[in-house]
Amino acid sequence: MTIRDLALEGIEQSINGLLALDPVALQRLARLHGRCVGLQLDGIGLTLYFVPGHDGRLQLLGSIEGEPDCTLSGSPLDLVRAGDEDHGHAQLFAGNVRIDGDTALAQRFSEALAGLDIDWEEQLSRLTGDIAAHEIGRGVRAAARQGERMRDVTAANLSEYLTEEARLLPHPFEVDQFLTDVDTLRDDVARLEARIALLEKAGPGDPQ
Amino acid sequence: MDDKPGQTHFGYRSVDASEKASLVRGVFDSVANRYDLMNDLMSFGVHRLWKRLAIELAGIRPGQRVLDLASGTGDLADRFADLVGPEGYVVMSDINAAMLGVGRDRMIDRGHAGNIGYAQINAESLPVEDDTFDLVTIAFGLRNVTDKQKALEAMYRALKPGGRALVLEFSKPTNRPLERLYDVYSFHVLPRMGDLVANDAESYRYLAESIRMHPDQDTLKGMIEQAGFERCDVRNLTGGIVAIHRGFKF
Ligand SMILES: C[S@@+](CC[C@H](N)C(=O)[O-])C[C@H]1O[C@@H](n2cnc3c(N)ncnc32)[C@H](O)[C@@H]1O
Repeated sequence: MTIRDLALEGIEQSINGLLALDPVALQRLARLHGRCVGLQLDGIGLTLYFVPGHDGRLQLLGSIEGEPDCTLSGSPLDLVRAGDEDHGHAQLFAGNVRIDGDTALAQRFSEALAGLDIDWEEQLSRLTGDIAAHEIGRGVRAAARQGERMRDVTAANLSEYLTEEARLLPHPFEVDQFLTDVDTLRDDVARLEARIALLEKAGPGDPQ
Repeated sequence: MDDKPGQTHFGYRSVDASEKASLVRGVFDSVANRYDLMNDLMSFGVHRLWKRLAIELAGIRPGQRVLDLASGTGDLADRFADLVGPEGYVVMSDINAAMLGVGRDRMIDRGHAGNIGYAQINAESLPVEDDTFDLVTIAFGLRNVTDKQKALEAMYRALKPGGRALVLEFSKPTNRPLERLYDVYSFHVLPRMGDLVANDAESYRYLAESIRMHPDQDTLKGMIEQAGFERCDVRNLTGGIVAIHRGFKF
C-alpha cells in the first residue's frame, strides 16, 4: 500500500513539477478541471487515473469508483518512446493508441501532456515490478539507471511480500518497512528537489 | 472510556466537558502558523500518503458536494475541490478561526474559487440541512472533539442517502515493537520537535496524549455503526498508527 502511494505521490509531483514550467500546458489542462482520464498500459495491467485541477495541476489516483471519462490505452514502450522523439507531432503515445469514452477529452489531455518532457520510463519504474520495468526499459535507456531500478524493485517486492503475508509475519518487519518507507520518502523528496532545481536552471519559464 | 459525568479528556487530564473545546482551541491557536511544517516533520511526510489513500477511498465524482470537518490548513479540501470539478462544491470548515483563516488564505493563494466555501463550525453540531452532502470527512480531527458520538451522528445526518463518511485518525498500532517505538517517538521526540519548530512542547505533548486516549479501531467502528452507518470498514495504515474508517448511509 505505502509503496504504491509513494510511487503515485512521486509521479504526481514530478509531472506537476514539469507542468509548473509550462504555463500553456497548465492552461489547457485547467479547462479539463474535474474530468478523469485513464491511462492504461497494455501488458502490465496498470491504469493510472489523472484528474486536472482548477489550475491545471494533476491529481493522480491509483483507483477510482466507476468509469473514467475517457481512457487512453497503449503499450508502455510507445509511451516511453514518445518522449524520445521531437515534440512536434505532440501525442502522448508514439505508436498505436486506443481511446474509449470521450474522444475529444482524450485528445486534449494527450496533447497537453505530450509537450512535456516526462521521463515515463523512470516514472513507471516506480510502480512496476521487475518484469515490467525490464520490459519498459529494454532498448530505451537500458543501463544508466540500473542501480536505482534495482533498489526500487527490491522495495516493491518487499512491500508485496509484506502486504500479502502481513498477518502471518512477525512484527519487526513492519517496523522495518515503516523505516524503509521513511527513508524512501526522504530520498524521493531529495531526488525531486534536485530535479526541480535542474529544471529551474534549464527552463526559460518562471516556475516561481 | 470511563469519565465522571460532565467530565472528558484533554490529553491525559480529565477536564470539564464544557472546558475541552477552549483548551483544544488553545492548542491549535498556538500551532496554526507552523502547522504544515510540523505535519511534515512529525510524520516524515508520510501524512501525505495517508491522505492520498483517504482520497481514493472517498470515491469522489464530479459534481458532488463535500463537507470537510476540522479542515485545518485544508490538505483534503484542496484536493477535493479539484476532484469535484467546477460543478461540485466543497465546504472547508474548522471550529478554530485561526486555523480556518490560515487554511482559507492558502486556498485563495492556490487560486481556488467558485466551488469552495468556508465555515467556522463545530463538528458536534453541524448547522446544515439533513441529506445535503455526498461525502463528509474528518481527518485528524475527531480525537479533538468533545462528544465524538454526537459528531458521528451529525455527520450521518448531513449525508445524503448513498453518501459516505470518512474518518482519518491516529489509531492503535497493531503490533508491540511498533507500538513501543511509536511511544518513544511520540512522548520523547515529538514534544522536543514541537519545542524546536513551533516553540510549543505542550501542544505536542497534548497531541501524543490525545492519540493514546482516542478509541481504538474496533471501538471507533462500533461508534460509527451506532451512529447509523452501514457497510463500515477500517483500513490500517503504517501498522495501525493511523486508520481510515468508512461508513455509508443508505
Ligand atoms: C490536527 S488538525 C487536522 C487538520 C487537517 N484535517 C489535516 O488533516 O491536516 C485538527 C483540527 O481540528 C480542529 N477541531 C478541534 N475540535 C474541533 C471540533 N469540535 N469541530 C471541528 N473542528 C475541530 C482544530 O481546530 C484543528 O484545526
